[in-house]
Amino acid sequence: MTAPTTRATADAPGLVARLGLSDGAAALRVRFMGVIVFQVLLMVAFTSVTPRFLTWDNLQSVLFTAAILAIAAAGQTLVVLTGNLDLSVGSIMGVTAYVVFDLAGNTPALGPWVVLLAVLIGLVLGAINGVLVTVLGIPSIVATLGTLSLYRGFVSFYAHATEVTIGELPTWIRSLAPTRWLGLSSYVWIALALVIVVGVALRTLPWGRRLYAYGSNPRAAYYYGLSTHRIVIGAYVGAGVIAALVGLLLGAQVGNINSLLASGIEMQVLAAVVIGGVSIWGGSGSIYGAALGAVVLATINNGLVLLGVQESFRLLFQGGAIVAAVAVDALVQRRVLSATRRRSVGVTS
Amino acid sequence: MRRALRTYAPELLLVVLIVLAAMWSSTLSPYFLNSVNLLSAAQFFVIFALMAFGLFPVVVQGEIDISLASTLAVGSVLVATFSVNGVPLALALPLVLIATALLGVLNGVLVTYGHLPSLAVTLGALGAYRGVAYLLAGDAGITGITPDYLLLGSSWVGIVPSSVILALVVAGVFWLLMGRTSFGRYSYAIGASPEAARMAAVPVNQVRVGAYALAGAMSGLAGWVWVNQYQSARGDNADGTILFVLTAVVLGGVSIKGGSGKAVGVLLATVLLGTIQTGMKLANVPGTSQTLVVGALLIGSIGAPRAVQLVRHALSPARRRLRITGAAQHDPDVA
Repeated sequence: MTAPTTRATADAPGLVARLGLSDGAAALRVRFMGVIVFQVLLMVAFTSVTPRFLTWDNLQSVLFTAAILAIAAAGQTLVVLTGNLDLSVGSIMGVTAYVVFDLAGNTPALGPWVVLLAVLIGLVLGAINGVLVTVLGIPSIVATLGTLSLYRGFVSFYAHATEVTIGELPTWIRSLAPTRWLGLSSYVWIALALVIVVGVALRTLPWGRRLYAYGSNPRAAYYYGLSTHRIVIGAYVGAGVIAALVGLLLGAQVGNINSLLASGIEMQVLAAVVIGGVSIWGGSGSIYGAALGAVVLATINNGLVLLGVQESFRLLFQGGAIVAAVAVDALVQRRVLSATRRRSVGVTS
Repeated sequence: MRRALRTYAPELLLVVLIVLAAMWSSTLSPYFLNSVNLLSAAQFFVIFALMAFGLFPVVVQGEIDISLASTLAVGSVLVATFSVNGVPLALALPLVLIATALLGVLNGVLVTYGHLPSLAVTLGALGAYRGVAYLLAGDAGITGITPDYLLLGSSWVGIVPSSVILALVVAGVFWLLMGRTSFGRYSYAIGASPEAARMAAVPVNQVRVGAYALAGAMSGLAGWVWVNQYQSARGDNADGTILFVLTAVVLGGVSIKGGSGKAVGVLLATVLLGTIQTGMKLANVPGTSQTLVVGALLIGSIGAPRAVQLVRHALSPARRRLRITGAAQHDPDVA
């Protein structure tokens, strides 16, 4: 076998995580450290070129930008871990922000209870995605591409080309984005809290472990007796709920909400997830990595703007970073595969 | 006859849907069923048709390219640049096609020789090529295209706009390419099983890179059509249209998992989407609400067969036996 470089091994879903052997774990740690090193290098580079980068004000603005993206990336990670994708997150954000803030503006008596409505919307829309992918067996790219259009069409239909303006919103929503706790934007704390909660859930709850089990090897998970439909639907529901919360945060930040809010954000979110080392083949990667990927993206954007670099170079750089990140992933995966293969067969070549 | 019916069932369904959509559209507006209106509306969808045909072999091979809209932008900007600098079209167009094909080759090489997932690679390329387009076009974009470049958008063959003829010719070329050449047969083989194809001595890597190059070149061609239509080129041309293109390809019966799909399906799906959008435009449905129908159509067309199957299973007296087949289909690797 010329194995490690053939397509078949590269396609094998998330072997890295399934093997869980020391070499694999080490390689994955290296992968995570790689993102951190990249982030540090970026910061050093930007600081050396423009000292304004490393000011407290600027770092705060980086974190603020990263916060929303990090939460969204955490949600997307749940789905990517199962070897699927959710392209509809931007539309879920749009639907939630418009519907919930429209209601909050019309009936102020509801107060913060509207957040529950947001969770419910995310739950339902996520469940629809999950059912389409599992029960109807539609490939996830196609299914969520469809719901991306569907949900966006719904909010456009619902909104009738009107906006929810910032004046209509209750004060508690309006004051959310500018609020600072302990010197940092409330969004940064919310992001931190959500990322940790999801991270701990993934690590400790059976729900989380099943995502990895299924993503590493769907077939093995199925024959092991896991309810594979439920796992994937669970991932989509989680991603939907998180997207709904992001929609609220984004809406509260923007203030004037039209039916196009958050359209196109799915590419940014996917980029963060991929840069953060979550394997697009499923089964490996962590929420923290994805959140870090969001920070890397935000740093790139911020630094290049400070440098006065044109939008064109920013896009080029970001695109290059994505490809570089997956290239490193592929390398790690191959290294792990070849290491474990040698051990299991007992041949050294 | 029955075999023909079965082979072309998805295409027949598309034809039926097109007829229904056209009937619906003509009830919305008396101006719909008018050959001038239909043909000028068709012109608008030529760009999407060309991109869809470019994407078609890539998807048949089980890969994806979401960077095509950005490649189109590069193509349109290059066309415009050549035009303002007085390069004759006969020289410029091949150069543009080669340049955009090279962008495709870069994707293809990363996917095949780099063993990287095509979605991630082309996600990167989506941004990077958009950056290239901005770089070439500047912030203001390029206007003042010379008339010789705009021939396609301003000429007719009889009552049919030239660009529509171009789309039909391209459709014919892809029908031949995918149905009658070894490239086509190899593509289906690779899509069905890359490993089996490799063992059958199919030059998998070259065919893959070839498909990406072709997709790039088709996007470049679409870029030229774009310039004809809008008489200008900017870095943000066609931003976000890849979802529409992918919808057309998948709706046309091309399996996203690879290995199946026909050129005629892609053509019909583009016509269907075009008919629906034109109809809704006439009915004054805002653009973003139109996506509701497009999304529902995409999900419905793919999910319907399985849904019917599930309902039939549930109603069938021999449920036990069917549940076993259900389980086999459910097995992610077998399915």
